Amino acid sequence: MKEEVKRTIAYSQESYPPMPTKSTLFWRRNIIWQAWRWVVLNIKIMKIVVGGHS
Amino acid sequence: MAKVVVLGAGIAGHTASALLKKKLGGKHEVVVVAPNAYYHWIPSNIWIGVGRMTIDQVRFQLDKRYQKAGIIFKQAKAVSFHPEGDSEINKGFVTIEYTGQEKAGTTEKVDYDFLINATGPKLRFEATEGLGPGKNTVSVCSYDHAHEAWEKLQVAFKKMENGEHQKFLIGTGHPGATCQGAAFEYIMNVAYEIKKRKLSHLADIKWITNEFEVGDFGMGGAYIKRGGYITSTKIFAESFLKESGITWLKRAGVTKVEPGKVHYELLDGTTGEEDFDFSMLIPAFSGPGFTAFNKQGEDITTSIFAPNGFMKVDADYTSKPFEEWKAADWPQTYQNPLYQNMFAAGIAFAPPHSISKPMKSPNGTAIFPAPPRTGMPSGVTGKVVAENIIDWIKTGRPTLKHKASMARMGAACIISAGYGMIGGAAATMTVSPIVQDWDKFPEYGRDINYTMGEAGLAGHWLKWFMHYMFLHKAKGYPFWWLLPE
Repeated sequence: MKEEVKRTIAYSQESYPPMPTKSTLFWRRNIIWQAWRWVVLNIKIMKIVVGGHS
Repeated sequence: MAKVVVLGAGIAGHTASALLKKKLGGKHEVVVVAPNAYYHWIPSNIWIGVGRMTIDQVRFQLDKRYQKAGIIFKQAKAVSFHPEGDSEINKGFVTIEYTGQEKAGTTEKVDYDFLINATGPKLRFEATEGLGPGKNTVSVCSYDHAHEAWEKLQVAFKKMENGEHQKFLIGTGHPGATCQGAAFEYIMNVAYEIKKRKLSHLADIKWITNEFEVGDFGMGGAYIKRGGYITSTKIFAESFLKESGITWLKRAGVTKVEPGKVHYELLDGTTGEEDFDFSMLIPAFSGPGFTAFNKQGEDITTSIFAPNGFMKVDADYTSKPFEEWKAADWPQTYQNPLYQNMFAAGIAFAPPHSISKPMKSPNGTAIFPAPPRTGMPSGVTGKVVAENIIDWIKTGRPTLKHKASMARMGAACIISAGYGMIGGAAATMTVSPIVQDWDKFPEYGRDINYTMGEAGLAGHWLKWFMHYMFLHKAKGYPFWWLLPE
């Protein structure tokens, strides 16, 4: 089935948030980039956890 | 020999008891009192609720784990606290009532030198008429609830496969409910499963929330770096909903649920109704409703517990307006101010106030989220409380040098929205600290370098990784103590 094109309803609350571009969607699923982000996220979370208590 | 009693075997209680036993060894006694026979990794309930995991993948039996570790396990629920003892027992004790171990219904007095209350929340479905499993909505707050949600979701899918239109209503089921993150994750997963089955054209999916703005998550929202801007989580969360074809209704306090119909009041005082075919709504939480007595048998419940049933700790409970809230209001050691050998960890401690700004409708209905304390904060507070007790037992004095304020610690919230090594997706949010510290971070209330949000496959891997890592840690598998909370 051909995907239906969603029409934006002007002034509706759903018309205001940003939508990802094709490029953004590509990088969200790019294995190499996401593997790097996985490392970055792990490091950030680890720093948050360790630094959050004494 | 010291005896430490831990009430609860969730993330906070299990973290505390495991650490206590490891560091105190056989010289001291660690007793865990919990009504459920299983440890349960709650964040993965979402995957049960969409049929991606089974109940047995998120739980394991506590008795074997505790037997191996040398921890005494009593499958029972705590009923009353007696911090001064009574005429028979000259030290603090708790009265418990067994729920298993072939002693169901029998009561016992369990004395202690130190007590950790880590009992988690009571799910107050009854606070909203018609809400909850067995009534008109489902829940993902326990694995049983999540399993029931999946069964009912399959019915809705089946109807859509037969060409029937279905409306899904997911969010908060009480004007003061919390845990928006879990409900948000569930709606994203439901939308993903519908899309995967190519049934989106037959689905109307709606997010209903008591948040002032979508993306508040009970933390007053957050500012994050995205796309060359510092932006609000409102934009981040709304973008996710829109991308998944989900509409939303915010500032809504659900007041009543009937079969297929939710009644709500908005912050502006108007009321409305929303129809549904499938609805998962998070209930209000409270403390379990313990009572407490002094040595003379006089009721001291209100001295130990806040009106919401959570235990008072070293927080500043002075009532003050939102504009005067400070990071210093939040507790650091989770020690009860009246009875210093009593601590509360995880959800069990009474927060000084909410994190989100309190809001009331013209009718006087408070419509805003309660503060979340699940997951990472539960683990960290469980650890800090255990470490302070360990030091106290080893040195003979209360140093209380270990501290973890929610206005200092950070947290990660991973909202998965799909499943699979390649097909999964997630929105990963980190905040540091959880409670805004406007004195330390006057611009955004939090450290903008560690408060972030991003979407992608990496977040899904992270959630998966955490599922196995935290179950590995909870099961006491090799090197479990090296894994963070």
